[in-house]
Amino acid sequence: MSTASEVGTEPLVTVTTTVNGQEVTATVPPRLHAADFLRQRLGLTGTHVGCEQGSCGMCTVVVDGEAVKSCLLLACQLDGRSVRTVESLAEDDRLNPLQQTFKEEHALQCGFCTPAFLMTATALGQQGRGCPSREEIREEIAGVLCRCTGYENVVTAIERWFAEHPQRAEDADPSPEALR
Amino acid sequence: MTTVEKPLAVPTTAPRAGGIGSSAVRKEDDRLLRGDGRFTDDVEPARALYMAVLRCPYPHARVLRVDTSAAERLDGVLHVLVGAQVRAATEPLPVLRPVPGAPRLPYFALAQDVATHEGQPVVSVVATSRHLAEDALELIDVDYEPLPHVIDVLAALEPDAPVLHPEVLDSNLLAANSDGSGDPEARMAEAHVVVEGRFRINRVTALPMETRAVVAEWRPGARELTVHVSTQVPHLVRKSLAEVLRLQESDIRVVASDVGGGFGLKLGVFPEDVLACLHAMALRRAVKWTEDRAEHFRASTHARESVHDYRIAADAEGRILAMTNVYATDIGGWNSPFGSAQLSSVVLNGPYRVEDGYAERRVTLTNKTPIGAYRGYGQPEVNFAYERLMDTLARRLHLDPVELRAANMVKQEDLPWRNPTGAVYDSGDYERCLRMAAEAIGWDAHRDAPRVPRADGRLVGIGFSSFVERTGYASARFLANRGSQFGAHESVTLRANRSGGIDVYTGVSSMGQSSETAFAQVVSDVFGIAYDVVKVHAGDTASSPLNTGGFASRTMIAAAGALKEAADELARKTLRLAAGKLEAEAADLEIAGSVVRHRDVSGVQVTLAEVFTGAITGQGIPPGEDPGMEATSHFEPSDAAYSFGTAAALVSVDPGTGEFDVERFVMVHDAGTVVNPTIVEGQIRGALAQGFGAALTEELRYDPDTGQLVNGSMVDYFVPTAADLPPLELLHTEVASPVTPFGVRGVGEAGTIPPGAAVANAICDALADHGVELSSLPITPESVWREISGRAAHVDTHLNPSPGDLPDGGDGY
Ligand code: FES
Ligand code: FES
Repeated sequence: MSTASEVGTEPLVTVTTTVNGQEVTATVPPRLHAADFLRQRLGLTGTHVGCEQGSCGMCTVVVDGEAVKSCLLLACQLDGRSVRTVESLAEDDRLNPLQQTFKEEHALQCGFCTPAFLMTATALGQQGRGCPSREEIREEIAGVLCRCTGYENVVTAIERWFAEHPQRAEDADPSPEALR
Repeated sequence: MTTVEKPLAVPTTAPRAGGIGSSAVRKEDDRLLRGDGRFTDDVEPARALYMAVLRCPYPHARVLRVDTSAAERLDGVLHVLVGAQVRAATEPLPVLRPVPGAPRLPYFALAQDVATHEGQPVVSVVATSRHLAEDALELIDVDYEPLPHVIDVLAALEPDAPVLHPEVLDSNLLAANSDGSGDPEARMAEAHVVVEGRFRINRVTALPMETRAVVAEWRPGARELTVHVSTQVPHLVRKSLAEVLRLQESDIRVVASDVGGGFGLKLGVFPEDVLACLHAMALRRAVKWTEDRAEHFRASTHARESVHDYRIAADAEGRILAMTNVYATDIGGWNSPFGSAQLSSVVLNGPYRVEDGYAERRVTLTNKTPIGAYRGYGQPEVNFAYERLMDTLARRLHLDPVELRAANMVKQEDLPWRNPTGAVYDSGDYERCLRMAAEAIGWDAHRDAPRVPRADGRLVGIGFSSFVERTGYASARFLANRGSQFGAHESVTLRANRSGGIDVYTGVSSMGQSSETAFAQVVSDVFGIAYDVVKVHAGDTASSPLNTGGFASRTMIAAAGALKEAADELARKTLRLAAGKLEAEAADLEIAGSVVRHRDVSGVQVTLAEVFTGAITGQGIPPGEDPGMEATSHFEPSDAAYSFGTAAALVSVDPGTGEFDVERFVMVHDAGTVVNPTIVEGQIRGALAQGFGAALTEELRYDPDTGQLVNGSMVDYFVPTAADLPPLELLHTEVASPVTPFGVRGVGEAGTIPPGAAVANAICDALADHGVELSSLPITPESVWREISGRAAHVDTHLNPSPGDLPDGGDGY
């Protein structure tokens, strides 16, 4: 067996990105995808991985204001961009209004898909549009699968959050300074 | 017995916040909403290593030669295992819920001479990163000799089929067994009408969003193997690993903290769990493996695939005289720990009164991924068959399908009642659910209207499906008779702490079924303590009493009794100790929130923190009392409880194309006493979503020529998204079960049962003038169109029952 090296011989590249308001510089293997980068290098394990194929949506994070499947991005593609993950939502010890609404509406069971729905809704809220209909919400979140809830309560939670928090765009997108 | 008719979210009397019957906010939510859950892949011990597994690409192949030398030379690769090493170091994987009469198949963690399905592990590699471990797989050279394979479950039973396990069996029939009573063949012969059909059930998979994962660490000096694993049954994994690895159970600690969905798939030990442990023990470093989704589709378990030849005999008025089901059920290439769903036989007659009937099961090996348990466990399969046939019978006799069902249902006053296989239905009002569903969907108006197209050209039909659902197990004795490796009870430890709270320790892992919440509610309700200060510690074998685990819709049924007993015991002691402090009679005291207080004299009270601290230190307790404030209880309910209900679907169909749309779906369900209405509704909705997937869009397809899975990825296997599900209307009755504490019935699986039959019956109703009789799942526009246009393949053969050996159902179930 090999004893020469425990890191292998992969070449490394450098990436500088802003994650939840913090600037991060890291050297990574070029084939490391963004979800693994967030989970394994930054310890942000709230972003989950379900297929690494872009079809389950578990790895959804917000990149420059858009909901993005982070398993389809390489870590090095985050260079110069701003990433938000589920860990940025709660304010100190308090759940943010979106999280609170999910809790009140029983929009999660095992919770594996939950960060992805939260980040999808967060990005949706930032688009500055009016309250979407239930049908529109269903279409918007169809990129994230859930095997536990049957979605009904997820839709209700997002609908209620839009209705009760018209200022959500500001809520949802604190400036990097505010997060620091 | 009372029946309460009400929507779930509005209790008739307001329960105490956090108590039984309240929609307490979930204990699990805060961590999960913050991304602070701890799923197995989130566990990252220092200096962890990563495993990757090379899998057989063929459905059936002899492994002639394995050359791992190039992989071993790759920088970063630390350890490689091949079949011979596994054979020398381990025992075969155990079956936890065997099929009665089935011989043991020698299933090792790595293929020995012959692999029997695509995806079976052949070599495993550990390296310093997952990337490197996967690179190493590319360098492994295996010579396979492809062998003839068999994919179709009926073809596998033919005499010329290649035999998968010739060292143990002469054919691919793993076991056949029959349950029943009476003389159904005689009833068939004298009946006015016999309706029959062959029903094909699709192969699907549970598909939890979190794949399987394991992290194993070994401290040889301490003889301590710590295994984090995504499982529903930590204590059964511990037991199984001890057997396979030839260790003592005390050497092993299994931890399942947060589990991202189980649904029956995560029951027992899988090959990769064993492999990770072997590598970790060899390397003395933590070894981690997280299944990727392509592996999940091929190397976890599938479910449901079966072919049922059903018959119902009736007299001219539609009274059922006999019901039989002879069926072949696929088990894939191996007998997985929970392989072959066992409830297709148990509830073959559904909610209908049948005295003469039997189910004969043929468990059949094929060169496909092993079959395991999946929410419903045989019940959706037979419900599709008997409910389709009930509609066929109604049409044949020109009877109203609702009235036909009502007339044949077991009556409330006849319960408890033993069905032909020996299952004892405990209590309920089946007809009431049916009537409620018929009313909600508008059946009366529809029944009398002609089946003419709407303005949009579509035909509309309504279909029903009535069901019972067995929840929990009859008894440990029943399980022992069936060779099962676990009991019917559940166990908890309650331990008071000096902060004035109660810690609850359970071996039931948290996988979305809200057991932390429900357990805390029961403790709060029984003890009288505030819900907020009850903390549930779940899924760690080092701290929890030996138990069974979360499956078979049994958790609440059994655990509620254990929680009640333990909470009662602690409450009695708390009152005695408080009585000593307050110089009062225990009988005059009550526990309320954070204090013990006098019922009549205000101001006479002591905090729970003070009482508990006294007990824990042994200071200031009355003479004769032992120190400590802790109780462990094991509870076995007196019998299984049967949930029940009826679903009704309203479906519009384009008669030109077969395209259809489920426009309304009503589910009326009874889960006995409801511990938490919000959670119960969530369980039903979630199970219905899986039921709709299996009924309409999900099917694992194999290429008969190559024997390979055609659609084993999330891109090609269609589980319902938020945009795909029909609107679901839930109604609810509440008949307390007499066989369980608090009258609860299990609730986890019911929703998986009726969607297929209700939707198929609605389509057949809409297309009654076209003579359409759907008989296979999934139901797709194409399958409907084939029926309309007469292109469906019809079979006239059927599985012949084995003559003469019909055992009495007895009191087995
Ligand atoms: S893990 Fe990224 S979409 Fe499934
Ligand atoms: S809550 Fe389990 S997958 Fe959505």
